[in-house]
Amino acid sequence: MTAVYPPDHHLLRDLRFSFEHDADGRRSRAWMPVVRELCTDLGHARAGVLATLVDVIGGGLAASAAAPGWIATADLTLHLVGAARPGSVVEARAEVLRAGRTTVVLEVALVDEHERNVGIATMSFAVLPRREANPEVDRVRDSPSTMATARSRLDRPLLEELDVQVRDPARGVIEVPVTDWSRNSMGSMQGGVVATVAEVAAETALRAATNEQLVVTDLQVTYLGFGRVGPVRTTAEALGTGDGHGSARVELVDAGAESRQMTVVHAVATRVLT
Amino acid sequence: MNSDERPEAGHHVGRYMGVAMREVEELHLVGHASVAPHLRGPAGGVRTGALLTMLDNVGGVTGGLAALPDGWVVSTNLAARVVARSHVGPLRIDSCLLRRGRNNVVTSVQVRDEGLRDALVASGVLTSAILVPENGPPQWTRPLVLEAGPEPAPDLPSMPDWLGVRVVGDHAVEIELAAELRNPWGILHGGVVATLVDLAAEHATGGGITTDVVLHFLAPNRVGPVRASVRELGRRTDGRLLRVEVRDEGAARMTALAIVTCAPRA
Repeated sequence: MTAVYPPDHHLLRDLRFSFEHDADGRRSRAWMPVVRELCTDLGHARAGVLATLVDVIGGGLAASAAAPGWIATADLTLHLVGAARPGSVVEARAEVLRAGRTTVVLEVALVDEHERNVGIATMSFAVLPRREANPEVDRVRDSPSTMATARSRLDRPLLEELDVQVRDPARGVIEVPVTDWSRNSMGSMQGGVVATVAEVAAETALRAATNEQLVVTDLQVTYLGFGRVGPVRTTAEALGTGDGHGSARVELVDAGAESRQMTVVHAVATRVLT
Repeated sequence: MNSDERPEAGHHVGRYMGVAMREVEELHLVGHASVAPHLRGPAGGVRTGALLTMLDNVGGVTGGLAALPDGWVVSTNLAARVVARSHVGPLRIDSCLLRRGRNNVVTSVQVRDEGLRDALVASGVLTSAILVPENGPPQWTRPLVLEAGPEPAPDLPSMPDWLGVRVVGDHAVEIELAAELRNPWGILHGGVVATLVDLAAEHATGGGITTDVVLHFLAPNRVGPVRASVRELGRRTDGRLLRVEVRDEGAARMTALAIVTCAPRA
């Protein structure tokens, strides 16, 4: 998050998040308007999009909690129980559960504008020594209440914007380029986008395995390395399937960087949420 | 961290679980455990709490070896998915290193049923923080071999009886922090915390089976009683989604948080 991050045309602007941070640095809230371009073919917000909301609000809060140190995201988990449909607004309420010498742990509750449960998320972060390139925490905390500009919006579905290419549905092989639109402040694929890529891989593989229109409701994302070069390539293995649900293990590599391992994800898909 | 020097201290949980493990190549450990009667739950298969304890056990040693010589590890979070509910055994617990960072270690752990043609039972990821014990990290001969000890007695108590679980209303269970439930550092064993979460979910759902767990260890349990309280978040086609909060009541603090999916038993 340098002075030029995010650029004018960027995911974090086009998702039109807005934020509010408590002065004590222990709680934050964020809101995301749900539009059709962010939804699955069954008409509710993608798990990966909600993971992006969690990642953004959680990263800012963890940076405050770890100050004067800096942070690296270790893992993100998301479990959905309710459908967030176009026209609704999802609110993320993040709270610091632990701020220790080596780790920060957060819980994030997701609700809609009627206080209905949409889901719950957790994140944990490794605390690192601060480097010159890391943004100041005060800047994070005092950031504007939104990164969106008057022109920020999605003009086409998210997966088209990310240029997701499905190569082998049964094995969950998809490829996604790393573009300026989806990079984080370190120049790598943004963590929520990584979750979205894994979501699509799991959904593709589990639909192929079950012949059912399952949607991903749970993500357990373990971040191992950055995706800087691209394309990011996935493989997915169905672990088990049952009546109306299935689970998969997804691995992501940076194919342009000697297939360096980036992320391991366990995903669960169920029938449509209500 | 200051370890208890008594030779028996901290090893009761490992003996009860009966997991033997061997380092088959550098930082790749394989453990074995029998499907003993005392580890089975009411649905007949090995309890999810027992499977989580095995994951924590073998994954934790793998992480600890990766942390040497700088330190040893404590579990910080465990995420696992159980995909098979009936088991023949023996179970093979396969753990390998995914990442060794400056202050944490990530290991991948899979449990397979050798009695069912290596069918996958559970798949998970364990993250551990690297710490420096007061008396230095443990010394091991490599490649590491840890025996399970003598065959478990046939009349070992079931996990709820062994832990001394008592019900607290419709949505919580608790245990006392008995000496045999502590790890070598004198705090409640991580596998016991995972089992308590599993038992609380089972109690709150009237006998459901835990199929998916994300468990964050936030602080040590030192005093007790330790209580796990359940709040239901919603229902889906794969079961009920629960938030389980673990507190050390004697220390008046939250010590772990779990998000659990609990499927109907049938």
